[in-house]
Amino acid sequence: MNIQEYISSGIAELYVLGLASEEEKREFEQMCAQYPEVLKARTAFELALEKQAMENAIAPPFDIKNKIIAKITSEDRNVPAAPAPVRSINLFKYVAAACVILLAGSIYWNISLSNKNRDLQNNYDNTIARLNESEKDMEVLIGKQSVKMASMKGLDISPSSYATIYWDTATHDVYLLANNLPTPASDKQYQLWAIFNGKPVDLGVFEIKKERLLIQVKNTQGAEAFAITLENKGGSQTPSMDKMYVMGKL
Amino acid sequence: MALLQQRNEKAFSYLYDNYSGALYGTINSIVTDNEIASDVLQNVFVNIWKKIESYDPTKGRLFTWMLNIARNASIDEVRSKGFRASKKNQSIPDNGDVPGAITGPAIDDVGLKKVLSKLKGELRVLIELSYFQGYTHEEISKVTNIPLGTVKTRIRNALIQLRTMIN
Repeated sequence: MNIQEYISSGIAELYVLGLASEEEKREFEQMCAQYPEVLKARTAFELALEKQAMENAIAPPFDIKNKIIAKITSEDRNVPAAPAPVRSINLFKYVAAACVILLAGSIYWNISLSNKNRDLQNNYDNTIARLNESEKDMEVLIGKQSVKMASMKGLDISPSSYATIYWDTATHDVYLLANNLPTPASDKQYQLWAIFNGKPVDLGVFEIKKERLLIQVKNTQGAEAFAITLENKGGSQTPSMDKMYVMGKL
Repeated sequence: MALLQQRNEKAFSYLYDNYSGALYGTINSIVTDNEIASDVLQNVFVNIWKKIESYDPTKGRLFTWMLNIARNASIDEVRSKGFRASKKNQSIPDNGDVPGAITGPAIDDVGLKKVLSKLKGELRVLIELSYFQGYTHEEISKVTNIPLGTVKTRIRNALIQLRTMIN
């Protein structure tokens, strides 16, 4: 192809004015890259067109520029930056909410576990203490050769009552086992008596406690009998004979 | 140019100050309505700002690129529903009639159009239809009843004359 003919065919004008077909455009761009004369012709027409347009410029209305600047600055600031953070904030919200819920659950779980643990520890301590006491009691009752026992049977006012007395002939310690005694009224207390030569000696008042098997009372030695009466709270100097629940002779 | 492609607002402002008048003149010659031309000019510069990265200097001068954006935007506006509704008397020509806007006295002979008025009648119509109204060569061939090959040749001839006129 003759380059001069190509140039003078009007293709450069067609191209620059945007009137060339896609095929013509591709061919012309290739020719521009290959032949400096073609590029020169294109540039020459571009400059002529530009000069012509500049000479015939019409000043646009005064406020257009500000409108354009406002538009592009607002679009630049809002459009590209906006979508991504919105999603990540939403995601963050959900993650944060989930974390708070998990944390709350974990704290609650920890507290309830800790409470349970403390209760178990207390129960354990109590059980160990009671076991120790029971073992001590059992040692008194069974383990010691020196300990003797006497059963006290229910009298007329309460035939089903029953209690047992243990005493250590070596140490003179005296223990009471309340096998079966009715729960007294709140202003009454049981009182244990030892009988020497027909005369009662006060061995003290006692409370029946479920926790303790044996109740240790005042030391004594050589009594011929024991008895329990129900007295006013604090005990009496002498036993109320009509309120005697149990009695046992050695 | 580098500043523009980095979206430097000062460079853009400079671009507007230098070329808005030339582009506004071209837009006006296509849409022939100052108010609509102002709207088109706004969109054209917003588009120039958005698309500046896609400008390829090996394919032409920056002004040529901007001019074609302005021309395409103007033609799109002319072809839009709203524009046609407001300018019903300038509807698409058919049956080979020469559009009234071209031959009538209402034409504003400014810019390229002023140059165009010096062309022979038929060549002038072809340039008017293709460049200012955006019809493809095929459409022009159909509308004017001139064979496609002839349309192409005549448009090229018209452009060659145009070039010598503006040089």
